[in-house]
Order: sequence, then structure tokens, then C-alpha cells
Amino acid sequence: MTTDELDPLIHVPTRLKIVATLAALPDGDTLSFTRLQDLIGLTPGNLIIHLRKLEDADYINSEKARNGTVSITTVALTGHGRAALDAYTQALRDLLGGL
Amino acid sequence: MNHTSDATTSDGGGTFDARQAAALLDQTTQQARRQFAPSPPWLLATRAVAVLAVCGTVWLTVRGQHPYHGPTAVVIPVLVAFIILNFFVTVAVRERAMTGVRGVSRLRPAEITVLVAAFAATVVFMATAGVSFGHYPTTVLILPGLAYAAVMARTGWRRCGVGLAVAAVGVAGAFAGPAGSWAVTGVGLCAVLGVRAAAIALGQRRDADRP
Repeated sequence: MTTDELDPLIHVPTRLKIVATLAALPDGDTLSFTRLQDLIGLTPGNLIIHLRKLEDADYINSEKARNGTVSITTVALTGHGRAALDAYTQALRDLLGGL
Repeated sequence: MNHTSDATTSDGGGTFDARQAAALLDQTTQQARRQFAPSPPWLLATRAVAVLAVCGTVWLTVRGQHPYHGPTAVVIPVLVAFIILNFFVTVAVRERAMTGVRGVSRLRPAEITVLVAAFAATVVFMATAGVSFGHYPTTVLILPGLAYAAVMARTGWRRCGVGLAVAAVGVAGAFAGPAGSWAVTGVGLCAVLGVRAAAIALGQRRDADRP
């Protein structure tokens, strides 16, 4: 097995951090865009690009809610995204165990 | 020739091999769990030691009283200060951990109401029954402990178990006599908080050791 077989959507440092951070929350919890940005340490533009790629693959779900005049964007890992991370983690284990 | 590649080009530039990916995954997961923990082990352990010290001090001052007349005027401010400080530190740490988090981890307004109502009902019941907190200190743990267990049942058995254990300490203290109940409160709550802190710390270490 090689790294070429690892999920290319997750096997990128920034997206791996995003997915791992969201996976640390219990199922059913969402995280605000600003807190995620603080935790990952990315510029908003850069984070949006990575989130869009993950959302296109149905790995994450984002929602925009209005709180008075303020609009809050929240993101959460989908069941599909959680399964993809589990498969990625298992693939990493297999790969490292074989090295 | 059997060509195998164990490194790949990342979107951010450069290569990202399997070892780096495993290390980053591990580090990010642990960091995120620490950041999202509403009751970190250090806080629980500190609270365990503090409750043992405060209740132990009260017990030392009341154990020789015959007849029993409750904590002295010197100890009561320490007890009140501990309760207030504990409340504010708990709320501050929880708010910091839960900033930006919505969903099942957050207490719902109805659940907060249930917890406050359980505590208020206990205070009102004690006042109407003419029961002094100084004589039966553990009684305030029973109903709020059960309410916490009921509210936390939806998040899993661990937090529910903490609530039940707190209620059990309250029941045990009711049979220990006025002076003895302070010792039961201190030792019981210290044990509950200590076990919870150890369980969380062990879980985090197990995750860190996982290959």
C-alpha cells in the first residue's frame, strides 16, 4: 500500500487538521467558522477554499444562521466525513504497520 | 521494478508522507479534545483537592462540638467563597471550551432550568421543613445530583454516573450525623471528582499511545 491510496481529499495537512478537529466534537455538534479558524490558524479565505472542497465531497456540512444582524456560519462533519476519516486512519495504520 | 511511493504532494506545497500525516492527525485530535473539554482533568483534580480541604476544615472545627451547632463564623466565609469561586471558574472554563460549539454538548435552556429548579426546590424544602444546611450539608447534593444525572443521561453514562455518584454521597452523608456528614461530603466528592479526572486523563493517554 502507498500514500497514493490514501484519500486525497483528507491527505492534505490543512484539510486533515480541519477534519480531525471537527471529528473531536461529538456527533450532532457544530462548530462556528470563527472558532475553527482560531483552532486551525488559517486566513478566512484559505479556510473557505478547503471547506468548500470538503463540502463538495459531502465530508462536512455548513449552515449559515442569522442571529439578529450577525450572520453565523457553522460547520460539522457529516457521517460520510466521519467514515472517510476512520477509513483514512485505518489506511495510515496499515501503511505504517507495513513500513 | 516495484515502484512504491510513500510521500505525496500536498495542496499546500511540499510533500506529506504517512508518518507526518499520522503525527499531525494525532496531535490535532489531542489538541482539539483538550480545547473542547468542558471539564478538563486539571480542573476536576483541583476541585477534588479543594472540596476535600474545605469540607475537611469544616469537619475538624465541628467534630468536637457537643451539642452540635454547625460551622463556626470563621469557616462559613471560606465555605461560601469556595462555592462562589468554584461556580465562576467552572462557568468560565466551560464557556471557553464551548465557544462556537452548538448541539448536544451544550446545556439547553430547559436543562439549565431543571438544574436550577432542583437546587432551588431543595433550598425551599429545607427552609420550610426547618432543616438547617449546617446540620445536613449533604442534603443539597441529592436532588441536584439526580437532576444532573437525568439531564446528562442523553450525553452518555459517564456524566450521568457522576450525577448519581454525587446523589449517593448526599444520601450517605444523611446517615453520618451532622458532623460526620461534612467528612462524608469532603471524601465522597473528592473521590467522585478524582475518579472522573483520572478516567478522562487515562482516556486521553490511551488515545495518545494508540499507534
